[in-house]
Amino acid sequence: MRFPIAWRLGLILVLIGVLGSGLTGYFAYQVSRDQLVKASEERLLTATRVLMRQVTVALKGTAADVRLVAQHPQMVRILRHTNPGFQALSEDNVALIFERMMTVHPEYFQIRLIEAANYGQERIRVDRGMGSILRIAGGELQEKGHYPYVFDALRLPPGAVYVSRASINHEVGAHAGEDRPSLQVAAPVHDSNDKAVGVVVINVDLHGLFVQLAADLPPELKLYLANSRGDFLIHPDPQRGFAFDRGQSALVQDEFPDTTVLLGDSRSRGDHVVTSGNPTAAPSEALVAAFVYQSLPGLEAEEEFILGLSQPLHSVLAESNRLAADTLGIVLSFSALAILLAVFLARALSRPLHQIVLEVRRFSADGSIGALPVARSDEIGELAVSIEHMETQIHKQIEDLHEQQDRLDHLASHDSLTGLPNRRLFLDRLDQALARARRQETQLALLFIDLDNFKTINDTHGHIAGDAVLQEVARRLRLQLRETDTAARIGGDEFIILIEGACDDASIDSIMGKVQAALSLPIPYQDIELESGGSIGVARYPQDGTTASPLIAAADQSMYRCKTTKNCTARAIP
Amino acid sequence: MSFRSVLPAMFSACKPHLSTTVLLLLCIVTPAWGATPVLRVLAWPGYAETEVVQSFERQHGVRVEVTVITSDTSLWQKISARNKDYDVFAVNAAELQRYIASDLVLPLSTELIPNTGHQLARFRELAAIPGLVSGGKAYGIPFTYSEMGLIYDRKQIAAAPTTIAALWDPRYRGKVIAYDGGTHNFSLSAQSLRLKSPFRIEAADWPRVAKQLIAMRRNVLGYYSQPEESVQLFLRHKAALMFANYGMQQVHLLKAAGADIAYVIPKEGALAWLDCWVITRSTRDSALSHAWIDHMLGEQASRLLTERQGLASTLVEQADRRPGDRLLWLQPPEDTGRREKLWGRIRSGDPLVRVMAP
Repeated sequence: MRFPIAWRLGLILVLIGVLGSGLTGYFAYQVSRDQLVKASEERLLTATRVLMRQVTVALKGTAADVRLVAQHPQMVRILRHTNPGFQALSEDNVALIFERMMTVHPEYFQIRLIEAANYGQERIRVDRGMGSILRIAGGELQEKGHYPYVFDALRLPPGAVYVSRASINHEVGAHAGEDRPSLQVAAPVHDSNDKAVGVVVINVDLHGLFVQLAADLPPELKLYLANSRGDFLIHPDPQRGFAFDRGQSALVQDEFPDTTVLLGDSRSRGDHVVTSGNPTAAPSEALVAAFVYQSLPGLEAEEEFILGLSQPLHSVLAESNRLAADTLGIVLSFSALAILLAVFLARALSRPLHQIVLEVRRFSADGSIGALPVARSDEIGELAVSIEHMETQIHKQIEDLHEQQDRLDHLASHDSLTGLPNRRLFLDRLDQALARARRQETQLALLFIDLDNFKTINDTHGHIAGDAVLQEVARRLRLQLRETDTAARIGGDEFIILIEGACDDASIDSIMGKVQAALSLPIPYQDIELESGGSIGVARYPQDGTTASPLIAAADQSMYRCKTTKNCTARAIP
Repeated sequence: MSFRSVLPAMFSACKPHLSTTVLLLLCIVTPAWGATPVLRVLAWPGYAETEVVQSFERQHGVRVEVTVITSDTSLWQKISARNKDYDVFAVNAAELQRYIASDLVLPLSTELIPNTGHQLARFRELAAIPGLVSGGKAYGIPFTYSEMGLIYDRKQIAAAPTTIAALWDPRYRGKVIAYDGGTHNFSLSAQSLRLKSPFRIEAADWPRVAKQLIAMRRNVLGYYSQPEESVQLFLRHKAALMFANYGMQQVHLLKAAGADIAYVIPKEGALAWLDCWVITRSTRDSALSHAWIDHMLGEQASRLLTERQGLASTLVEQADRRPGDRLLWLQPPEDTGRREKLWGRIRSGDPLVRVMAP
């Protein structure tokens, strides 16, 4: 298949253009995408930190509440039964305070005053019920001395606050808080002797607390909460939260292996990690997650929390998908531009080449030199100049060749010594003349001339002299003849003349007379004069023959008669 | 790390930790030999160590496919599906009864398992172990076990406690750590009250068993669920006595933490679980399955079980163990649901009247 160079060049230019803009676009996209993802990760991490800060603030708020209540003198009075008359009234007042606090804090499940004596007997207890706040009293009050929020909190100094592990509250009769994820925040009540006589405990609705704080987050963000062992407490899949409570295991470090750094001992532990989660997850479930570890300074916490937010990778990448579309648009525009440029360049290059091709074709067809783009100063101009030069040379060589050919033709048909047509050319002309005469029914005549004394001159004065005689004879013959007549040398000293047209005796005699006279004149040679002369025979068409050979033979015979009889007129010839 | 849950159904919820990966890898990389017979084993983590499997394969010119199970539920599902996929498996004695009742397992020919001769006497008397023998035929061969003894601090308690009544001893008030599980605690309470069977509480006995548990509640510092939790509680609060629901595992953990403790089996006997090897009714090669059980009772398997998993074998007496220690193999209790319900109330601090309320 023929593929013009301009096309190929254009194609290469297009390829280079498209490839260039494509690669540039691709890498620009990659870099920008990474930056976008990084920015998203940063945003996610910031959101997680902010949320963690809010959680910490909320917990500290609860700690402040519990501390305030525990340090209220009323608590010691109630636990010490210092004023039996007002015991019931005091308990009612404190319960009222608890109820108010519960109303203000929807995330509180329960507020209790528990005494250290009597196996941790609850003294005042307010529970959240279904849509109401319940004062629990009498036989429903329970012994809680064997719970860490009692026995651990009792050991704390005044003002300290205990925060339990997050757990599912399996305490029977806890109303709304029963079997719900809870956190107990407790502070000891000290009497005037600094003896811990009881604790104030607030049960915090863990789920309510976190979900409430996370409520303002975009819905695509999912909340994770894990304890310092890595057990999930809150997970988008409810089955994975508090799995340990069901004898199962669902650990943050299993689902997000990178979070291991948050779980080590305090020296090597990081405080945040951004991870893409389980590498085996399906692409549609791929996500980016940020986890933050937070200790709870100032609180006697059984454990710390790891808080995480995740975002589906596809939403992180949504922005970069828009970027991809933009980049693609730019790449396509530049590719189109590259195609246009390539077409233009290819045409600019191919036009002069095409012109050169046409010129070369024309030259080879008719040899004429036409217009070439020689004015250009580039390689194409150089090519045109070279081609023009080559054409000129070829042109000249062809002319030389023709000239030489002409010369060779002349040599082949003329006698080299005298310049007269030779026998071959003469016979040719004779045939043509005979044909003409037959067609036009005209006459012609042949005069056969044989030089006299030629042999003698040759022998006496040498061949050079002979040659000079022959040349002079030829010159004289030419002078005597009409343009239509042909004189030729057909042998050593034999000449023949073809006369066309009027061939009556008188004309022939006149010619013969003039020839005779011309030949009889002495021929100067060096400083002598050579005497020659010639015998002339005549033959006529159609009388003496109708073809060349008989005519020549007849002329020859006539010449011989002339030589022997010395009667050399036309009429004398029969 | 063995971990035994409260519920009989969950006895083996999580078996000794082990190189599960190695075993799975072994299953994958072992080439599928053309006509080599294959023995299909269902084992708990750590029961079929790679070397043990390899030596069996060499000795018998067979290939062993080990599938690791991690819960009684999945074990039951696999075997009760009757897909004829397995030849031999390990199950705890209390669970075994339902497999026998459903005719899923084969009576064993003990003469094909000569290594039983090396077992401790109390594991050779199969009829004396509840759940292994039915209709005069033995269905399971004991392989490993763990009991729930008492751990005590030797600094605080000079003479080893001899009875579980120590858990109620007012001298240790606030120094006792107990397990947060209704089924075992009711058995424990029944034992302390010297009832006929800790697994069969008569209707009239419930109130006093519950009252006994309230008394225990008032004597303990707190309750634990996980072994690590128990160790933390024990050390942080300088406890004197602990009911070791996880047995030797807790002993190991405490000793590793540097605690000066000892382990004792009370004279009433310690509750204990026992895992046995059994052969499926649908086994393709009964003789080979018997050979596997014999191999599992060999020196290598038993030694690795103890060395790597800290589990007791049935061949050698554990250190800390005194001759005559009684083990009460766990049996399905009369009413797990009621035990758990009442325990929830006791645990929450209810008085007896509310505990016994309908």
